[in-house]
Amino acid sequence: MSSHYESSYREPLVLGNKSYHDITEDIAKPIEGKANKNWYIAFYISLAAMLWGFGCIFYTVGTGIGVWGLNKNIGWAWDITNFVWWVGIGHAGTLISAVLLLFRQKWRMAINRSAEAMTIFAVFQAGLFPIIHMGRPWNGYWVLPIPNQFGSLWVNFNSPLLWDVFAISTYLSVSLVFWWTGLLPDFAMIRDRAVKPFQKKIYALLSFGWSGRAKDWQRFEEVSLVLAGLATPLVLSVHTIVSMDFATSINPGWHSTIFPPYFVAGAIFSGFAMVQTLLGIMRKVTNMEEYITRLHVEYMNIVIILTGGIVAVAYASEFFIAWYTGSPYENYTYMSVGAATGPYGWAFWSLILFNIAIPQLLWFKKLRRSFIVSFLISIAINIGMWFERFDIIAIVLSKGHLPSTWWRFEPTFVDVGIFVGTIGFFFVLFLLYARTFPVIAQAEVKTILKSSGENFKKLREENNEH
Amino acid sequence: MASNKKYWQSVEELKEGSVVETLRNNEFVEEIPTDEFLGDKETLETSSTSRRDFLKYVGFSTAAASLAACEGPVRKSIPYVVQPDNIVVGVADWYATTIADGFDFANVLVKTREGRPIQIMPNKEIGGVTNARTQASVLSLYDSNLRLKEPRKGTTQISWADADKEIIAELERLNAANESVVLLTGSLASPSTDKVIADFIAKYPNVKHVVYDAVSESGTADAFEAMYGTRALPNYDFSKAEVIASIGADILGDWQGGYEKSYAEGRKPELGKMSYHVQIESNMSLAGANADKRIVAKPSDQVYALINLYNTVTGANMPSKATAHDAEIKKLATSLQKAGNKGVVVTGLNDKNAQLIALAINKALNSEVIDVVNVNNTRQGNDTEVAQLLKDLSSGKVKGLVTYNVNPNYSLTGFADAAKKASLSVAISTQDDATATAMQYALPAPHNLESWGDVSASANTYGLMQPTISPIFNTRQIQDVLLKWSGSSVNYYDILKEFWSTNVLNGASWNQALHDGFFKKELESVVTVNDIDINTAAATLVKNTTPSQYELNLYTSTALGDGKQANNPWLQELPDPITRASWDNYLTVSMADAKELGFDNPVKDNGAIDGNYANVTVNGVTINNIPVMVQPGQAKGSFGLALGYGRTQGLKEEMQVGVNAYPFYANGNSIQYNVSIEKASGWHKFACTQVQKTIAGRNDILKEATLKEVLNKKLDPKHTWNKPAMVSYDHQEVEAKTIDLWDEHNREIGHHFNLSIDLTSCTGCGACVVACHAENNVPVVGKHEVRVGRDMHWLRIDRYYSSEVNEKQVEASMTIEEFKAQNPNIANQEVERKYAEKILELGGGDLFAALETSAENPQVAFQPMMCQHCNHAPCETVCPVAATSHGRQGQNQMAYNRCVGTRYCANNCPYRVRRFNWFNYSDNSEFDFNMNNDYGKMVLNPDVVVRSRGVMEKCSMCIQMTQATILKAKKEGRAVKKDEFKTACSEACSTGAMVFGDVNNTEDKVTQLKEDNRAYHVLDYIGTKPNVVYQVKVRNTNEA
Repeated sequence: MSSHYESSYREPLVLGNKSYHDITEDIAKPIEGKANKNWYIAFYISLAAMLWGFGCIFYTVGTGIGVWGLNKNIGWAWDITNFVWWVGIGHAGTLISAVLLLFRQKWRMAINRSAEAMTIFAVFQAGLFPIIHMGRPWNGYWVLPIPNQFGSLWVNFNSPLLWDVFAISTYLSVSLVFWWTGLLPDFAMIRDRAVKPFQKKIYALLSFGWSGRAKDWQRFEEVSLVLAGLATPLVLSVHTIVSMDFATSINPGWHSTIFPPYFVAGAIFSGFAMVQTLLGIMRKVTNMEEYITRLHVEYMNIVIILTGGIVAVAYASEFFIAWYTGSPYENYTYMSVGAATGPYGWAFWSLILFNIAIPQLLWFKKLRRSFIVSFLISIAINIGMWFERFDIIAIVLSKGHLPSTWWRFEPTFVDVGIFVGTIGFFFVLFLLYARTFPVIAQAEVKTILKSSGENFKKLREENNEH
Repeated sequence: MASNKKYWQSVEELKEGSVVETLRNNEFVEEIPTDEFLGDKETLETSSTSRRDFLKYVGFSTAAASLAACEGPVRKSIPYVVQPDNIVVGVADWYATTIADGFDFANVLVKTREGRPIQIMPNKEIGGVTNARTQASVLSLYDSNLRLKEPRKGTTQISWADADKEIIAELERLNAANESVVLLTGSLASPSTDKVIADFIAKYPNVKHVVYDAVSESGTADAFEAMYGTRALPNYDFSKAEVIASIGADILGDWQGGYEKSYAEGRKPELGKMSYHVQIESNMSLAGANADKRIVAKPSDQVYALINLYNTVTGANMPSKATAHDAEIKKLATSLQKAGNKGVVVTGLNDKNAQLIALAINKALNSEVIDVVNVNNTRQGNDTEVAQLLKDLSSGKVKGLVTYNVNPNYSLTGFADAAKKASLSVAISTQDDATATAMQYALPAPHNLESWGDVSASANTYGLMQPTISPIFNTRQIQDVLLKWSGSSVNYYDILKEFWSTNVLNGASWNQALHDGFFKKELESVVTVNDIDINTAAATLVKNTTPSQYELNLYTSTALGDGKQANNPWLQELPDPITRASWDNYLTVSMADAKELGFDNPVKDNGAIDGNYANVTVNGVTINNIPVMVQPGQAKGSFGLALGYGRTQGLKEEMQVGVNAYPFYANGNSIQYNVSIEKASGWHKFACTQVQKTIAGRNDILKEATLKEVLNKKLDPKHTWNKPAMVSYDHQEVEAKTIDLWDEHNREIGHHFNLSIDLTSCTGCGACVVACHAENNVPVVGKHEVRVGRDMHWLRIDRYYSSEVNEKQVEASMTIEEFKAQNPNIANQEVERKYAEKILELGGGDLFAALETSAENPQVAFQPMMCQHCNHAPCETVCPVAATSHGRQGQNQMAYNRCVGTRYCANNCPYRVRRFNWFNYSDNSEFDFNMNNDYGKMVLNPDVVVRSRGVMEKCSMCIQMTQATILKAKKEGRAVKKDEFKTACSEACSTGAMVFGDVNNTEDKVTQLKEDNRAYHVLDYIGTKPNVVYQVKVRNTNEA
């Protein structure tokens, strides 16, 4: 990752007149400084939401799943919707850090740290749901293939839910290791700057004794590559397997071979949207405007257009196939005339609006380079992708094979509370992260400063070194 | 001489001063230095109990104290100290007995476990039939809430002896003063009790016995008496009928006890015969739902239709009015004439004149279906006498009143006030109901299952009633009470035995009769027919019929009947077969009237249905806030309302649902004219188990055919009326069930269970649903939970409405063969594509949407639905912990203990038959039903576990029953006999619609049924290969 030559016609990735030391200062500032009022307000709101959510979880576990809005015909609704939504959000991190690393996309360096943090925190939230949605979560460990005292009882390897267990836990562990590896030099930087002994001790522990020797760097590069290679298939596998929760079932609307690629695209779509949302806030709050630039936003928007396009095509083909079969059983799948005109029409049209219509604005260069527009569109996509999962789950289950079993779902305050709680939990983690972790991979950014930094480009310009 | 021996256990003990000796005298061998420790102040002060030691002591004592405070849950399981000879723990005993509560009469077998009755099944040996209420009455036995437990005077408890003394004194005083006393009972149909009552009246000649049926058939009895001289109801054998014309008689519901068994026997398409059933009615009843042709007519039109029918059949010219249905009536008359003595006319109008006309038509037809010799004794109520009693009570003419198992304070307007005027009022009652509470004395009577007795429901059958449990409360049978009051010292059991040996048994064995539960007698068939002036009857009938804009047709619901068992949670939770609503009664309103009056049943976001309220006034009586249910098939200008609801006295709060419709039930007439209605504000929350009304074009779920099609040997069912799902395999169309991804297990070894359900025979009565409740400890969840779609029924009966589709839709729904015939010029290879194009052109979406709307007079079909026990079960593959798996005998098994409750299996079940325990339903005061009290728990089947919260449950195909059958055969060292395997639902099914058995036994009935022309699997296109097989529903719609 040396400072390759880069044309000065290309937009710089680091703005301002930065030196290496400036970068260090900028990144270390949120950690070493005091939190401002906004941070505290955000933190306390998130904390309150989180505690409320935990309360709802305790209530559910203590009383029974009946406190949710589920019924005999709709066995999943917000629980699995939230699960898939959070897993999907967790997708961008690995894609940015692993796939873009393999493709040598330097622009990832400003955002990969936070994207990966988001991934890990999102997977935490996602992981909650499969556990608490169980009727008897205290027996949840039965889904693990561990030797047990129950005789020959073993897990059912046919079940996609079991594949989920493996997929999610693998994904979480690989993501965590990858994230931490990247953090080592940065933690070491903080450690070296720390003046308070306790802080120094902590960061010394976190940095695993990073010494900054050439050998350290060499191994760092190697491990990063290897992990990127390992993580890349996971980008595809996790959501493929999540999609199989639906695709391997026999419900019309779920039983669909298109699901794996379509879910992966949707996951990246929603993941990038969430990165946009988070960075839109973070670059302001932590004064990272010069590292997270319009160019970064535009690049991410391009990924969003691409994956959003794939998702839109998938919707269209689902809709077409449902209609083309002429089967009465397909007339009420989540992408069908029946869904568009039925009791869940509002959810159907929300999905179309937020996930297909609004992202099309990104075709306009002016809009996709606008911070505020990107931020708003990213929020719309987050909502839209939640609706996608809700539609897939609730609409399909509400119109089962036998018309006698058609029913509807209405969330209770507990359903809402748990969802809000996970959002709170997520932001609690993220806010704590923003105050204690180097939010930008400064060691990596420094490697491109001379090639992609604005002042160095200017310098080259002045020296006529194009 | 006293022995002075010394007994010693060890040599040590023998020695003086041994350790043993020391130990015996001194518990602590070494002296505990307490003095040293506590006596010396100095030592104490210098003692070094360090902080750590102190914390250790505190920790230990806290732990010890809290451990001592813990108590394991107390489980009351009391073993037999002396085991009774005739009870083997774990083995059920069955007793043949009879149920008779004044409204429901049935010859039954009662299953007892360890001395507790836990289930009631029909005694099929004598053609016993149980409906849902009879099935559920075993739970009413344990109703600690409503049962009257101790004799009571006013509000204070009294001993039986004191009560006897006081009442006898008063009876004697009244007798001496020659003041009138009335004994008011329901229909007892008990010959020996009649004798006891006669003896009682002999002792107290001032006593009069009045029979009061809350739901009256008095008009029929009056008519029958006028024509045939005996006061009874005629019996019907619908199996002999070729044409059945029913005018407002719910022959499959509660009309004169219901006739579903013989009705179903007469409708067996496989035997080539099937009665043609025309129902003329205003409410959508079970009979109407099963009829081949249903004519919607408001009550006044039914009256005219009856007379018009009489006129057409006999050629008479009675006064009548023209109705909109006269053309149909003419056709019906022709069919009846053609059928001759195989035709029958019945009417549900509780009016002597109307019944006379019906009897006259049957006489004119010389109908074989009606039986006037072997009469029906189950409705003996006399409206005239009851009305007189009410008058005499009010005027103070009747001074004494003894009621038995009737609740007129609830069901008879004005009775409560009138009864207060009597100087002696006694209620002998099983229930602590409104009447028992209001009377001076309330004397507890035992439940049917605790009593001796006899019942002669039809003249030639004598059923014996025997106790199946010793009385739970301090009860005494009415017969014993009356005997006591007459000063007799014999008990009723001896009288019963004596009565039977002299009057019934004719030398046959009492023990055998007791074992069988019944005795059948030959009757002499001497019929005297009185001449009846039909002209006058018709004229009076027409005069009394006052058609009005709105008319009310009261009915009894399948679940509650006349309301006797309103405190029974199984029945409250049993959905109505037509509306699928539980825990309620409601005003059924036609779609046209609903539109005019502004009534609606919106579906809420939680899937539940709401309804408007209506204030209804009938002849000056107003009931406010009756919830409204818009009912397809209801006659315009008519409303329906179920009796039996709205009871409050003694009922649990949860059971106090619905409105009491008895105030409308003036003169025992279910038809009321002069009805006015207005919409009231507010929304009623219904608890329906099904919301979608139609099958939405998914016709392969519930297949229907006409008798003509089924009998037409030229038609190959597989290509016409019973098409299997086809798939393309190796470029060839093959049946979907022949394709398999996996190698099949060899299922020919051992048993392989199948259940066949004949949709033609299923009347939707719901007996199987309650039987399943009882057999499998299915929890009751209450109104709110049913409302939000969480009923726990393992077995439900889906109801679908269908209607004729319009021309365009017919075109779209035509088969490819028809399309080919219509378009002969299209090349063969092109046909399929063109056909698909045509269907698409017509717009699949529109078609399905149109089919969703049910019409004004829909056809109705019932489909019992339970776990289909798929051989390729979608639920089994998706469970992460393998909690549900397939048994070797075809059952899809559910290991509750292993279930973690992901609910994936329920989502992946195309039949949606899996039920999740959203909460703890037992021992939970939030669900205060039978599983939350010690009496109610006595009904639980010990063979089936009560499920905890968080686990999935579903139909097990009564695996506890199949295993018991196998074990029994094994113990007896024989093979399982033909048709020996049973499930609760197949046992409870009176019409034979449900047949269970082993398909590996070629002799079992189900083996043939599985291969029958009519057999099909629901959703066979998915390839689940169910072990539940359905038989195509056949309607005889081609007749006339």
